[in-house]
Amino acid sequence: MNPPAVHCHQIHRHFGNGDTRVHVLRGIDFTAASGQITFLAGPSGCGKTTLISVIAGLLQPSSGSVSLFGRDLASMPPDDAVRLRRKDIGFVFQQYHLIPALSVAENVAVPLLAASMKRRDALEQASAILDKLGLGDRLHQPPARLSGGQQQRVALARALVHQPRLVICDEPTAALDHETGHRVMELLAASAVHPDRAVLVVSHDNRIFHFADAIAHMDDGIITHIDHPNATTTA
Amino acid sequence: MIRIALTMLRTDRAKCTAMILAVTFSVFLMQNQCAILASLYRMMTAQIDDVTDAPLWVMEPDTRCFEQAKPVKDGTLERVRSRSGVAWAVPLLKIDTMARSDSGLLCTVTVMGVDEASMVGLPSRFRIGQPEAIRPAGTCAVDPGGYAQLFPGEPVHFPRRIRILDESLVLTGMTEASAPFTGFPILHCSRVTALRLNKAENRTATFIIGDFTPGANRAAVCESITAATGLSAMDRAGFGEMARRFYNSQGVPRLFWITIAIGLLTGTAITAQTFSMFVREHTTQLAVCRVMGVTRARIIAMVLCQGLFVLSIGCAFGTGLTAITTHAAASEPFLRGIVLPPQVAAGTCAALAAITIAAVTIMARRVALMDPAIVFRS
Repeated sequence: MNPPAVHCHQIHRHFGNGDTRVHVLRGIDFTAASGQITFLAGPSGCGKTTLISVIAGLLQPSSGSVSLFGRDLASMPPDDAVRLRRKDIGFVFQQYHLIPALSVAENVAVPLLAASMKRRDALEQASAILDKLGLGDRLHQPPARLSGGQQQRVALARALVHQPRLVICDEPTAALDHETGHRVMELLAASAVHPDRAVLVVSHDNRIFHFADAIAHMDDGIITHIDHPNATTTA
Repeated sequence: MIRIALTMLRTDRAKCTAMILAVTFSVFLMQNQCAILASLYRMMTAQIDDVTDAPLWVMEPDTRCFEQAKPVKDGTLERVRSRSGVAWAVPLLKIDTMARSDSGLLCTVTVMGVDEASMVGLPSRFRIGQPEAIRPAGTCAVDPGGYAQLFPGEPVHFPRRIRILDESLVLTGMTEASAPFTGFPILHCSRVTALRLNKAENRTATFIIGDFTPGANRAAVCESITAATGLSAMDRAGFGEMARRFYNSQGVPRLFWITIAIGLLTGTAITAQTFSMFVREHTTQLAVCRVMGVTRARIIAMVLCQGLFVLSIGCAFGTGLTAITTHAAASEPFLRGIVLPPQVAAGTCAALAAITIAAVTIMARRVALMDPAIVFRS
């Protein structure tokens, strides 16, 4: 049996010291299985962003352990953690964070270029995935010329271009209208869900919750309960 | 990734242009002032350095530089020649006087009367004509810049006539004399000719120049000459050093150094400030790269390459601008000594590069050490 894509055990994370100390994560136990879309839901400030930063290896937990595909992040040398992020994780951000100076194709090629792939090959691969996502005619345009939905599709292409095993999406529909957000989620579900791949979505947009296989509800630094919205339908 | 970094820089045209202009201005200001200063230093000792065949210089003790030399007393030559360690010695007469060209133009000139037997005291090379052509009385050679001052806009041809006091002189050739500190034309002639022009004074030599016997202790020979004659004696390097010290004490070089420092500080401050703004504005984009697995070292390399790009373009423009202006200045006869030595061009660029790269490295390091998780918060 494959190990879970993400496994968090008793994650604590605090910021500051003394009187200014803020306890953001208070003992998170959480698992995201491969082949599923897992949502992290909860109100603003409940610790969702801190948790995905810890899962992505961008923040060290104050205590507890995180493992990705069976590999413990804490015991990994820093270079290996960077390599893991480069190879096995794709990111979609709320504000897209596309590089305005680069064309659409170049933006999508960034993860491949970061992995030292030849520019021509990287652009070819980027063009192919953009074509799949319906942006084949926008390859050479700057991101600023695209609508919000198109920019989020470019961000999605960038997250998927290097075929990562885990895709982390931070509020992917927050800046989009309902219809566009729905389309982006459909694309994400169609492109990212794969038996060896997991998708972790941070969102408090309940209009897209039906895409989830599991929803971990967070509040005040802990996971209060986990829903499986499709479980009854499939049963 | 380096290409991406350069694209990010080039696309932010306003900041990229501001930084390049800052470096260009700074390099231009520094190189321009350094070039003038270096040229002045060269000109301070130009006539001393031109006399390559006489390492020994004897002069009145009050003399501080070539331009402000008092004539030595008659009879000094023999006393110098008689000292042990002196291989040979000849007189050199220097006069500043007024010359009138055949078109009636009046011009202050420096006349150098060299020993007519040995012809020691001439520049090592002639551009037109031969040293022997100035041996006959009433003939002389002029330097290229001097010719342009005496006969502005006229083609070079010899012989030509000028008048000094009521003496008529025939210009028979052109020396490769270095541009003097005063900017005046330099006329080289035999001492016999020069003496005819020296009616205000009855002294026959300004300097005694000569050589040391092989193996002689130069310092000891100079001391012995001073003890015997009461005159200052030194080798060429010593005389050059004394002239530089004298001009340094006049304060002018200090003013140049102040301007050079202003150029360095202003240029680096503007460049560093603009670059810092540029990097701050692109922090999120660099953080996205970090999140996607770009290593810290590569982020530093990206920021450094952006800095080097600005620096190299700015240095190239600044150096080009200085080269054009110094070339234009050097075509003016009076400013003919102003040149841009390659060492000055390289040195100023290196100084600016060192400070700018240090500033850019600090910023690059700051970016590399940032918390990449900011991409989830912004």
